[in-house]
Amino acid sequence: MGDHWAYQSVKKPDVPQIGTLWSRLGITANDETDWAKNEIDHFILDKLKQDGLKPSPEADRATLIRRVSLDLTGLPPTEKEVADFVADKSADAYEKVVDRLLKSPAYGERWTGMWLDLARYADTKGYERDPGRKIWRYRDWLIKAFNQDKPFDQFTVEQLAGDLLPTPTDDQLIATGFHRNTMTNDEGGTQDEEFRTAAVLDRVNTTWDVFGGTTFACIQCHSHPYDPFTHDEYYKYLAFFNNSRDEDVTSDTPTLRFYKPADSLKLAGLQHFIASSIQNPKQAQASVNQVTHLVRTIEPKINSHDFDQYVNASLLDAKYFGFQDKGSCRIKNVTLTGRPRLLLRWGTKATNATVTIRQDKLDGPILATILTPKPGKDTVQMVPLPPVQGRHNLYLSLDSPEKPKDWVQIKWVAFAPILPGQPQNAVGEKDQLLLDLLNADVEQTPIMLDGSGDLARETHVFDRGNWMVKGKRVTPDVPRSFPAMDPKLPKNRLGMARWMVSREHPLTARVAVNRFWEQLFGTGIVETVEDMGTQGIQPTHQELLDYLAAEFMDSDQWSVKKLLKKMVMSATYRQQSNASPELVAKDPFNKLLARGPRVRLSAEAVHDQALAVSGLLSHKMYGPSVMPMQPDGIWQSPYDGETWKQSTGEDLHRRALYTYWKRTAPYPSMVTFDSPSREFCQLRRLRTNTPLQALVTLNDPVYVEAAQNLGEYMRNHGSSPEQQIQAGFRQVMLRDLPPKKLAVLVHLYRTTEEYYQQKPGEAENLLDRPGFDCKKVSPQLAALTVTANTMLNLDEVITKE
Amino acid sequence: MNKLLNELQQAAAERETRRHFLHTCSTGLGAMALSSVLSSCGFFGKGNPQNNTVGSAPLPGEPTAPHPSQFVPKAQRVIYIHMAGSPSQLELFDYKPELAKYNGKDCPQALLEGKKFAFIRGVPKMLGPQGKFAQHGQSGAWVSDYLPHLQGVVDDITFLKAMHTDQFNHAPAQLLMHTGSARLGRPSMGSWVTYGLGTENDNLPGYIVLASGGKQPDAGKSIWGSGFLPTVYQGVQCRTDGDPVLYASDPAGMNRDVRKQTIDAISQINQQQYDDVKDPEILTRIAQYELAFRMQMSVPDAMDIKSEPQYILDSYGVDPNKGSFARNCLLARRLVERGVRFVQLFDWGWDTHGTSADGSIDIGLHTKCKESDQAVVALLQDLKQRGLLDDTLVVWGGEFGRTPMQENRDGQVLPFMGRDHHLDAFTVWMAGGGVKKGFSYGETDDIGYYGVKDKVHVHDLQATILHLLGFDHTKLTYQFQGRPFRLTDVAGKVVKPILA
Repeated sequence: MGDHWAYQSVKKPDVPQIGTLWSRLGITANDETDWAKNEIDHFILDKLKQDGLKPSPEADRATLIRRVSLDLTGLPPTEKEVADFVADKSADAYEKVVDRLLKSPAYGERWTGMWLDLARYADTKGYERDPGRKIWRYRDWLIKAFNQDKPFDQFTVEQLAGDLLPTPTDDQLIATGFHRNTMTNDEGGTQDEEFRTAAVLDRVNTTWDVFGGTTFACIQCHSHPYDPFTHDEYYKYLAFFNNSRDEDVTSDTPTLRFYKPADSLKLAGLQHFIASSIQNPKQAQASVNQVTHLVRTIEPKINSHDFDQYVNASLLDAKYFGFQDKGSCRIKNVTLTGRPRLLLRWGTKATNATVTIRQDKLDGPILATILTPKPGKDTVQMVPLPPVQGRHNLYLSLDSPEKPKDWVQIKWVAFAPILPGQPQNAVGEKDQLLLDLLNADVEQTPIMLDGSGDLARETHVFDRGNWMVKGKRVTPDVPRSFPAMDPKLPKNRLGMARWMVSREHPLTARVAVNRFWEQLFGTGIVETVEDMGTQGIQPTHQELLDYLAAEFMDSDQWSVKKLLKKMVMSATYRQQSNASPELVAKDPFNKLLARGPRVRLSAEAVHDQALAVSGLLSHKMYGPSVMPMQPDGIWQSPYDGETWKQSTGEDLHRRALYTYWKRTAPYPSMVTFDSPSREFCQLRRLRTNTPLQALVTLNDPVYVEAAQNLGEYMRNHGSSPEQQIQAGFRQVMLRDLPPKKLAVLVHLYRTTEEYYQQKPGEAENLLDRPGFDCKKVSPQLAALTVTANTMLNLDEVITKE
Repeated sequence: MNKLLNELQQAAAERETRRHFLHTCSTGLGAMALSSVLSSCGFFGKGNPQNNTVGSAPLPGEPTAPHPSQFVPKAQRVIYIHMAGSPSQLELFDYKPELAKYNGKDCPQALLEGKKFAFIRGVPKMLGPQGKFAQHGQSGAWVSDYLPHLQGVVDDITFLKAMHTDQFNHAPAQLLMHTGSARLGRPSMGSWVTYGLGTENDNLPGYIVLASGGKQPDAGKSIWGSGFLPTVYQGVQCRTDGDPVLYASDPAGMNRDVRKQTIDAISQINQQQYDDVKDPEILTRIAQYELAFRMQMSVPDAMDIKSEPQYILDSYGVDPNKGSFARNCLLARRLVERGVRFVQLFDWGWDTHGTSADGSIDIGLHTKCKESDQAVVALLQDLKQRGLLDDTLVVWGGEFGRTPMQENRDGQVLPFMGRDHHLDAFTVWMAGGGVKKGFSYGETDDIGYYGVKDKVHVHDLQATILHLLGFDHTKLTYQFQGRPFRLTDVAGKVVKPILA
C-alpha cells in the first residue's frame, strides 16, 4: 500500500510532445501546436489523442470573460469589461483580463468563500445551544492572505501554527483561527474534557482532510484497512495538537483581545513604563513581551473545571466551579516559583465572603486571604502571594456567613509577574493599571495557544477510539510511511506544519493543485478531492497533476495566483463548453476535457451574481457577519434566545461569504444550493439539481428584489420591449439573446403586460418594496420584472458556461 | 397548441434524460453521488455484487424515483414521532411498584458508582412512579393514567421496554437515534430510507419533517440532514407558519397563471439551450422546475387541513388555525396518504428535570401527555380505518430515558419533581407495518434502572426499522471517504421477536 502513487514524493514528469518537430520549432503550422497555449495542454492533448478525440475551439470572448471572471472573482464581468475585451485586438488581451482579475479585491473574497467550507467556519459554536462566536477576523485574514498571494506553504503554516512562530504578529495569531473553528459544547451537563477531545480529534482529521486529502480519521478507531497508517500513528499525530489551551469552556478562550483606543494607550503606557524601568534591554524586552502576552491573551490560565476535592461545592452546570459557605477545593500541582501574583476571575452572588488560600493541605500555611468582590459582573482580582518555591497543591476554602447558600464561582486562575517598583505584598499603582486592562471591555477572537510546564498534556492512544479508555502513552510524530520530519524541526505543531509543506511531503501540493483545478474545471484530476488514498478514484491525468504540483512548489514558490493563472491561460480552459452528441456520448462527464467546463454556479456565486447584475451588490469588504433577508422562523434555538436581526443599508446586499452562519440553522438558500452546515470540514460540495433550488431563485425575496431592480434597469434601457429585454439579458449574460429565445421572452412580456393592465393592483403588489416610488408602477414595469425573474432562472444564467 | 408543444418537448426531454442516464451509468449526478452508489453497488459492472447499496440504483436525474427494496417489505412508509427531551418511561409505561417503596430514600451507592449523569451530583433521592398504572386490553399492557387514550389501543402496539443508548445529553442522543452516530455529519434515517426507496409521489418531497412544541429539537437540522448523501435526500421541513416549504409562495402580485407562463418560458429557453450545448443537466433542470411548480400547489394542498371533515379534526383535537402537535399528527396521515415515504415529527418540551413547572413530571409531563395522547391515538385509528396502518410503521419515543432518582441539580433540592437523563433504560413503542400487535418486549429491573431481559440498543431499533422497510441494514450502504457507511455504523441487529 505504501507504494500508492500519491504517497510518493512529487517528481516533475516530462511534458509530452505534440505536433511535429517542424511545428515545435515554429517553422510549419500544425493544429496541435497552434492550439496549445501552455504545458497543461500538452498533457490534455496527449490523452485526447489516445482516445481519438480532438479539443474544441476557444469559447467566444463574452463567454470566456464571464467564465474566467466568475472563476477568479466569483462575480460576473460588467458590460464595459466585456466590451473592452471584445474590442481589444492585442495578442495578450486575454492575459490582461486574467491579470486584472487576479489583482481584484473580489479575488480574495471568492477563494475565501471556498476555504470557509474547509475551515468549517461559522459564526456560532455548534452543538445543542449553538450560541454565537466572533471569529470573523479569521475570515478577514483569509481574504487578505489570498489577495496578497501569501505563498501556500506560509498560508498553511500560519493557519496550523502561527502562534508558535517567533514573536507572532496579530495576523499570525488570527490565522490560527483555522483550528478554532471547531465546535464547542455549551449544553448544560456536558463534560468539557469530552468536547475538548472531540475538537482535538477534529483538528487532526481536518488537517489531513484539507492538506493531506486522505482519510486519516479511519484510524481513530483501528489501523487503516486500505492506507498505510496504523492506529497508534493517529495518536502520535494527535499529540501535536493535544497541548492547546482551549478546553471547551464557554468563554471560548484562548482568545486574542482587542482593546478600545483608550485602553490601548494604557497598555502602551505600561509597556513604556516597563521598558524604561529595566536597565538591561534584553530583560526589558522579555518583560514587556511577557506582560503584553498576558494582557492580550490572559494565558496561560487554569480553568476551574480542573479543580478537585470538592466540599460543599459543585461544577455548576458542568461549566464553572462554585462553592458555598464552608466549601473548599484543591488546585493541584501548581508551580509557584517566580509567580508573585495570583489572578482569579470571580462570579459571585455572596456578600462579604472570604476565601482563604492554603498551601499543600486544607489546614496548611495560609498564602492569602481574600475578600470576594461585590456581586455583579464577573471580575478579575489580583492577589499578591509570598515567595514560594516549587510545585504545590493549593487549597481554597470559603467563609460566607451572610449568604451561606449563594454560590461563589471561580472561573479560572492565572499568574502575573510583579511589575517594576511594585510592593511585594500589596497591589501597587502599576499592578492596578495591569488589572484594569485585564478587566477592560474587549473584543476577542479565538486563537490557538499551547500549554507548557504544569499545563502540558500527555497523549495516550484511545482504545478503539474511545476517549475514556486510555491506552499506551505516545509522543508527537508523523506516520512512518511518510518522509520523516527533518530532525531540525521542533516536535510540536510548528514542526508538524513545516513538515506538511516540505518538498518531500507527497500530498500537500498535489491536494492543493487538485482542489484549485476542481474549482475551475468542475471535477478534480482526482475526482475524489477528499481522498487521494488507495480508495480514491484514480486520477484522469496523473502526470499533469504531478507536473503542476512540482511547478507549484519549485518554480512558482507556492504562489496560488501563478497556479491559477497557468490553469486559466491554458487552451484547455478556454475551450467552448458546447458539445456534439458524439462527444457527450463518448465522454459524458467531460473527464478528458475535449470541451470547456460547464457547471452550475456555487451557492455563493448564484447569490452574488443576482445582486451584481441587478445593481444591488455592495462591494464593502471585511468585518462582522451580516444578516440579509431571511424568512421568519428559521432560527428556533431551544435556549439561547438569539434572533436574526436583519441588517440595514448596504449590509443587506453584501457578498454571500459575509452572511451570518449559524451551524444548526444555516442560511436556507445557501444550504439549498449545496453549502454544508460547516459543523465539520467538507472538502467537496456535491452539486445537486433540485426543485427547492428553483423555488429559491424564483421566489426568495432576495431574488425577487433582484428581479425588481433588474426590471427597472430594463425599463430605462430601451424604448421597445425587445430592446429592454435585450438590455436586461446583456446585463446578466453579457451577450445578445438569439431570436428564438428573444421571441419566448417577448411573448412572456406581452401576455403578462396584458395581465397587469387588467390588474393594476397586482402590478403594485409585485413592485412595491421599501423605498420604492409607487408612481413608477406600470403594467410594463411589472411585465419587465416578471421577465427579469424568468431570466435569473435560466439554466445558462446559473451555470458557468 | 402551445401547451401541446410544451408537452411534446417535455416528453422528449424526459425520454432523452432517461436514455442518457441509462446510457451513461458509470458515474453520475455530475458529482460523487452516483459514482459512489455504483462503486459500491455493482449494478453496472463495477464494485462487488455482494455489497448492494440499494435494491436498484437510483437514476441520477431521478434520484427520488421509487425503486424496490432488497426484499419484500412489510412497511412502505414511516411516521416517526420523536418526543424531544425524552418522556419519563417510569411515569408512562414501565410500571415499577418497588420503586414506590424507595420513594424519598437515598439512592444506594451501588447505583451511583462509576456512573455519570448530566445533572445529578452527590447522592440523590429515589423517586417513586407518579402515574397510576393499570393493565389494559387483551394484551394486558401497563399504561398509566397519564395516557388515557393510549390505554384503548395497546392491542395494536409493540412496546420495547428495555431500550438503551450511549448518550446522556440531548443533542448527541438525538443524533445517535436519527443518524446512528452521536457526532454530526451522518445522514439521518429518513435520508437513508428515501435514498433506498425513493418516493411514491413526485409532487412532494419524499422525507418531510414537522416540528411542534415551539422550538426545534436540540440537535437542530442535522437530525434530518442528508450528511454525505446528496442533499436531495435531506428532510424538508414543512413549517406551520409562513410558507409550508420555504419559498413555495409566489411573490406578491404574481398569480399561478403568471408563474406558469414563467416556468414555460424557462423550460422553452432551457430546451433551446440544451439543443445547442447538449448538457444533460439542463434536462434535469427543466424537470426540476416543472416539479417545483407542481410542489408549489401540492405541498400547500397537503398541508391544508381545512378540507378535513369536522369529525376528523375533532378526533385529533385539532384547532385548524393553530400549529400544534395534534395538527402535525393529522398532517402526517395526509402526507403518508399522498405517498410521502418518511414523515418525521418532533415535539419539543419533554425534558422534565423538575427545575420548573413545565419541566416537571408531576405537572409538565401531564400537560405534554394531555396535548398529545388523543392525537397520537387518533392517528393510529385514522390510519387503521383507511387501511394504511398495515403498511405504515409508526414509531414513538424519546432519545433516552429518565432516572429512577429525583434530580438534585448542583446538589440542591429542586422545586418540582423531576428526573435526570438516563441512558440505560427507556421505552419506545411501534405500531403497524409488520410489527406484532399487543406485544411487549424487554424488561427492566425492579426500579427501572437497567434492562435485564431482551435489551434493544438504538442501533438495533434502526436495524429493525430498515428490516421492516425491506432492507438488510448492513447492505444499505454508501461509499464515502474510502469506505462504505451505513445507518447502524458497525452494530445493530434486527429484533426478530417483535416482527409480525
